[in-house]
Amino acid sequence: MKANRYLAEYVTSIVVAVVLALVPLGLGGSAHYLRIGTLMLIYTAYAVAFNIIFGHTRQLFLCVGALAGTAGYISVLMVTKMGWSPWATIPVGILSAAILGGVFSYVSVRRGLGVIFVGIVTLVFSMIFHNLILGLRTLTNGETGIDTKGLGPAVLEPGLGSYYVILGVLMVSLAIYHLLMRSRAGTAFRAIADDEFAAELAGIDVTMYKVLAASVGSALVGAVGAVYAYYGGFINPTVYALVSVDIVVLVTLLLGGMGTLLGPVLGGVLFTVLDEIVRPLGQLNVLVYGVLMIVLVVTFRHGLVSVLRKLIKVRIP
Amino acid sequence: MIAILIDGIVQGLQLSLMAVGITLIYGLGGVLNLAHGQFAVVGGIAAALCLEAGVNPLVACAIGILSAGAFGLAVDRTLLLPAYRSAGEERLLLGLLITLGLSFVVNGYLDYKFPNISLTLKLPTPSFEVGGITVRTASALAASIAIVAFVLLFAFLKGTLLGKVIRSIIQNEVGAGLCGINPGRIRTLIVTLSAMMAGLGGVVQGLFSSLGTEMGNELTSFALIVAVVGGVRSVNGTLAAGVLLGIVNAFASYYVGAYLTLIILLGTAVFTILLRPEGLFASRT
Repeated sequence: MKANRYLAEYVTSIVVAVVLALVPLGLGGSAHYLRIGTLMLIYTAYAVAFNIIFGHTRQLFLCVGALAGTAGYISVLMVTKMGWSPWATIPVGILSAAILGGVFSYVSVRRGLGVIFVGIVTLVFSMIFHNLILGLRTLTNGETGIDTKGLGPAVLEPGLGSYYVILGVLMVSLAIYHLLMRSRAGTAFRAIADDEFAAELAGIDVTMYKVLAASVGSALVGAVGAVYAYYGGFINPTVYALVSVDIVVLVTLLLGGMGTLLGPVLGGVLFTVLDEIVRPLGQLNVLVYGVLMIVLVVTFRHGLVSVLRKLIKVRIP
Repeated sequence: MIAILIDGIVQGLQLSLMAVGITLIYGLGGVLNLAHGQFAVVGGIAAALCLEAGVNPLVACAIGILSAGAFGLAVDRTLLLPAYRSAGEERLLLGLLITLGLSFVVNGYLDYKFPNISLTLKLPTPSFEVGGITVRTASALAASIAIVAFVLLFAFLKGTLLGKVIRSIIQNEVGAGLCGINPGRIRTLIVTLSAMMAGLGGVVQGLFSSLGTEMGNELTSFALIVAVVGGVRSVNGTLAAGVLLGIVNAFASYYVGAYLTLIILLGTAVFTILLRPEGLFASRT
């Protein structure tokens, strides 16, 4: 029994990796669809990271885009202004995102902020980040953004290679997620999500585990944000805006199922398909996201994974 | 100097008009309304549409405010019901996410349907002089509208039995229920009233400069900052914070530029939450 304990997790991860690795073959070499596929992986990876923060420890971080942007901008600026190699600056970006996320979490837990105040503080941080990027025009070029073509590692130039690199990032995120969940921390997260007060009484260091979840999640968000900065060819505030990252990630996670391994992946794939369907509507797609979000929050809060679990009697992680 | 001060106070009053709705809805319904700016935009755009159809400006504004109220009523009776059914953190989270989704629905719809409509109200005399200071008629009018609205609100909250009922729910919903008060109906009333005040704020914005369909999020964030700094459960605090931040905003925009100002305001909000979560001017409602 012990050997099979994580069988479902391993099988799921392998299936996810194989299926996603085969996606480019099905696209028939179309550059447009390959780009959409790559963006799907990026948003899925964001959702995996956000899942650790929000899905497991109920910390509503409305600053996924801002954290990713912090890592992205720091990394790119250190390359352009100081001439460092991107291999050195990406870890710096990741570290700064992790520290920021950890600090938000630590302060919120220490001050006993409820979910709503964590939401407000991080939302305000998102706005501050956005305004700083717009305001520090000499450094960041404001809305025009910075051209990152040819700056980053060559493997991140758009194309088939970058698809697999980003798939690698996603799989590493899933692996970290799995390792975290099977460790002591995972047990603590589940206890905290069920009842924070009871967890504290049972001797779990709630502060430590919440900060851990926030830092690991933010580090993963930062990693994706920094990689995206080089893949996208340019960065500007819109790339990391609340509307273009946080809302998508929230909808993705709600769609797939919070607190599950497969949820963010399923959500990411489904959201990309939906997004392609509503793309011809132009302006109206914002409306569609809004409606989707309300419907999901109200009626479908446990996501696809829990529906699948009920339909087929297989354990889905 | 004095001109900037007056400007700041007027702006602050307008911000308070919006923020007080967030305060009341949060205090009574336990829902942090992230679509509050959109209520104002709905009101303003409705007024603009009436103006375009050749309706008398005063009537158009009244229609705008009423439509904001009707919109608020509809949202309260339909979308927010699932949030009201749950309690505690769950309700806060549901309310937050539902209104966030609602703000996107309103933004998307208005941008699509009325991309080029904005509300601009022109007054016959642009400015007049009092004791050597030139005052914009729009500012004077906006300030008086806001002050009248606040006097009416305070008279309602402090002077009437219904106001007492409302304050009792803000203090303790369960206790109020035990005294035979039906929180659901009062909540609907307050959401409608708050939406109307937001609509008024939108119309006032049209008086100052202009109100377009894309301004919802901006109005929401300013109102949110004011509500947070004033204490999300205190009406007095919201008014004081609105005026204070309005003055800070006016002086800072004049001396250090618009972008640093916004960061100062946002920073104030963060530090208020961290240092005094109950608000800078927390006192009884």
